[in-house]
Amino acid sequence: MAIMNNIYLPQLVTIEEIRDEAPDVRSFKLVFKDPRLREGFDFKTGQFALYSAFGLGESTFCIASSPTKKGYIQCTFRRSGRVTGGLSQLSVGDTMGFRGPYGNSFPIEEWKGKNIVFVAGGIGLPPVRSVIWNVLDNKADYGNITIVYGAKTVADLVYKDELKAWDEMDGVTLVQTVDPGGETPDWKGKVGFVPTVLEEAAPAAANTVAVTCGPPIMIKFVLNALLKLGFDENSVYTTLENKMKCGVGKCGRCNVGDVYVCKEGPVYTAAEIKRMYNDF
Amino acid sequence: MADKILKKEDLAKLIASVTGKGGRFVAPTTAARQIVFKKVSKAEEIAPDYILARNSFKEFLFPQTEVIAEFTVCKDTVDMRGVEVEAPETVVFGARPCEAASLAGMRALFTWDFVDEFFTKRDDNTVVITVGCTKGDEACFCTSVNLSPESTEGADVYMRETEDGGYAVQALTDKGKKFVAAHAAVFSEGSAKARALFMPEKVPGVDLKKISERLKDKSHYDNPVWKKLAMKCIGCGACTFVCPTCRCFDITDEGTAFEGERRKNWDSCQYDSFTLHASGHNPREHQPQRWRNRFMCKFNFYPEKFNSKGCVGCGRCIRVCPVRLDITDVMQEFSK
Repeated sequence: MAIMNNIYLPQLVTIEEIRDEAPDVRSFKLVFKDPRLREGFDFKTGQFALYSAFGLGESTFCIASSPTKKGYIQCTFRRSGRVTGGLSQLSVGDTMGFRGPYGNSFPIEEWKGKNIVFVAGGIGLPPVRSVIWNVLDNKADYGNITIVYGAKTVADLVYKDELKAWDEMDGVTLVQTVDPGGETPDWKGKVGFVPTVLEEAAPAAANTVAVTCGPPIMIKFVLNALLKLGFDENSVYTTLENKMKCGVGKCGRCNVGDVYVCKEGPVYTAAEIKRMYNDF
Repeated sequence: MADKILKKEDLAKLIASVTGKGGRFVAPTTAARQIVFKKVSKAEEIAPDYILARNSFKEFLFPQTEVIAEFTVCKDTVDMRGVEVEAPETVVFGARPCEAASLAGMRALFTWDFVDEFFTKRDDNTVVITVGCTKGDEACFCTSVNLSPESTEGADVYMRETEDGGYAVQALTDKGKKFVAAHAAVFSEGSAKARALFMPEKVPGVDLKKISERLKDKSHYDNPVWKKLAMKCIGCGACTFVCPTCRCFDITDEGTAFEGERRKNWDSCQYDSFTLHASGHNPREHQPQRWRNRFMCKFNFYPEKFNSKGCVGCGRCIRVCPVRLDITDVMQEFSK
């Protein structure tokens, strides 16, 4: 009997490293068990995957590492449901499932020679971080980099080591903020919501693209703030992380109006978002 | 133009001929006092006089639940095993022209760049025999979505009941012609007078072009009709399960933490959990949004994205709704 091609069958990956980023937020460094994939797995920044905890099911997150880092992939997730709860129970050396990469990507080739502003909130940083490292690993191709990142509290900021590294890099401006009440006595960053802090930082819009991800409500306000700062709606990108089960355009839940995020996204320009239903 | 005749007494022979070769014969039968599509082995099991089955035959191509993988968690790894789809040779007999027309959309969706072979392999092995309707009820509205009891979309073989209780047979597709040839001994030459077909009345004022135009204009999002509908809707999802074009599903693991299976299960866009993010955010938090999604899927997504019918006018959703919501009311509203 011919073996069927099963689009729902995941690959197996081993957890090589676990890093606690923030309360309930954890990163996994994953390596494919299949040696051919370990060498040959390729993806583009912005693509997503479905990660499985066997016995509990699959969850969708972006690939948080950059394609420039070879031999492994990373994902970052918040423990909030059944599958992420199960993933949180796993240890280094354990096996999980990986299905992907799916979806479109950020067109970073088109951005060469331009400045880039990254705006992220909370656990919206992981997809943006993939783009940040992809750009920083080819830094000569791009202009100035500005990163505006905020979380509810200081503890909730993810990738704390990397924030420090970005802050110290030449040509990179990092603006960090926490929501009012989320600061600590020794907090040196801003206090305020991301869209407000972005407007205060007022990065120049000329020859600049912007990338944003965060909670849906933050995305909506950040898009407005960027347009107010003079950004062209075709130069502003975001990624929509809707609930997905199949990742391949079949299961029917990730659509925003007539747009299937898994097949026609997750990366969209502000102009495309404007044409979509206000339903994400 | 009928090619062949299937005499009343030869239906049993057709079933025997199909099942004798190891195939399954699916037809409307009576179970729990309802007409349902089920596997049958005898002609007497086939409901003699029915409008249409309560379920559509989609479950024989896209089962309510099916295993897509099996796994065992071992000491150092996980043993993950793909499964082979069970796709027996299947004959769906007595489908109605409305529900057969749902196949184009299902095929487009399940092969949209990624081919779901759980669907396609079953579809490849299934012969759909539609029988033109000689009976209908108030819920039938195929004529309002450009179909009729004479439509042959999705049918491999089209039959008309004849006055003497047999069928006039027309093989349409290659699959249908092969089927008739493979069971040639069962069919006869000749002609017989066909029974009159039941033509449902058109729903007054319905205009599919207008609906399509209205749905492209986002201002319909605030149409009070969505709220009005949702006031009644209890979100049971029954309409989506009986609908021949609804095909949304969940992927979920069942078993213990050490051994189990991954399954594809029917799901419904009418449930709040369908789109609920783990964070608590829900893009379709309220029932009006979910009703809007269902209607748009039928009259905007399927026609625009997949160039196919999202609603075939079978009326199942109307018959099954516990609070008597009627999709033709919405069609009328958006035809204005």
